[in-house]
Amino acid sequence: MKHPGEIRLTLYAGGELGWWEQFALTRHLHRCPACRRRVEMYRNDRKVISEALTGSDEFADWERLAAEMTANIHLGLAAGECVEQARAERTRPRWQRAIILAPIVLPVLVLAVVLLRMGQNPTATGKMDWVEGTLIETTGGSIEWRQGTAGLSLQIPPGGAVTYLVNARGEVRARYVDEETGQVTIHNVYAQ
Amino acid sequence: MTKAGASEVGDLMDWQNRFISENLRSVFRTIYRIVGNVVDAQDLTQETFIKALQREAQLKDSAKAAQWLGRIATNTAIDFLRRRGRWEPLPLEAMVEPQPEEPQASPEQMVLNAELRSYLADGLRLLTARERVALILRDVEGLPAEEVARRLGCSKATVRSHIANARIKFRRYMEGRRR
Repeated sequence: MKHPGEIRLTLYAGGELGWWEQFALTRHLHRCPACRRRVEMYRNDRKVISEALTGSDEFADWERLAAEMTANIHLGLAAGECVEQARAERTRPRWQRAIILAPIVLPVLVLAVVLLRMGQNPTATGKMDWVEGTLIETTGGSIEWRQGTAGLSLQIPPGGAVTYLVNARGEVRARYVDEETGQVTIHNVYAQ
Repeated sequence: MTKAGASEVGDLMDWQNRFISENLRSVFRTIYRIVGNVVDAQDLTQETFIKALQREAQLKDSAKAAQWLGRIATNTAIDFLRRRGRWEPLPLEAMVEPQPEEPQASPEQMVLNAELRSYLADGLRLLTARERVALILRDVEGLPAEEVARRLGCSKATVRSHIANARIKFRRYMEGRRR
């Protein structure tokens, strides 16, 4: 006699087999006491587990436990909302962040473009050469370049002491300390 | 806050309280059966409700609320079992926490019950998280295999495989102990 496998026996005990498999196995069990015993054991195991675990369901002081859990759930939800708000602040839309950063970034960009354009002079090399006809001077509140009719002015924020340094290579350096933040800024301007 | 706003917040709180009180016991009981101790069951029940209420917008059909909550509870418990690992013993504080109430049991019966539960708990630790959850949902909670599959997010065939493996491992454990 061919016996069914353990998996089929255990599924039969739990009633998880399909109709046809159930029918075929029932017929086998009528003729096979060994398999019948196995099925009975699996049924008994289910009963033991179920009774042991359901029998332990009534909890002493459930009301206190429930009240504690309910309070903690509300606390968790409130904490979650706080975190969510902080996260929303951090993930401000890009266009808003762009508006905030524009006054800081734009002047730097303009200066970078100008310096790049000046650096694209085909005669320029890594070595610093004096560019004929270029004038760099300080006017107290700014550093100015002039070449023919074209000119550019780098404004130094008013207030606070600014130290200007001019060297023999034609460089002009302005150094100042922001009184509020203590930040040191150095502008080094030269023609190339 | 405007009066309308305060009223909306009040309504939301009422709804949340109702939702919690209607489902708390069943969620706690299911999780307790899966993890086997009150302290962890308490933490995981709270976690389940917080997750559910934070995503309440997804709960369009209130009639299916219990099923949806059951799925979150099951997944939370499975994640916990995986984190804890199968072989890690229960912490000491979990054993001295509020004990299940057995009003009619004699002291002898209580000792026997505690021994039986400890014996079964050892057997359940041999199962993987999914086998254990499938076995408890099917054999203890009495859910149909289709619902167990929905809760575990897998096919009915996979559930049958988990259940069969769990029962066979458990039987071998019982037979091994008897020898």
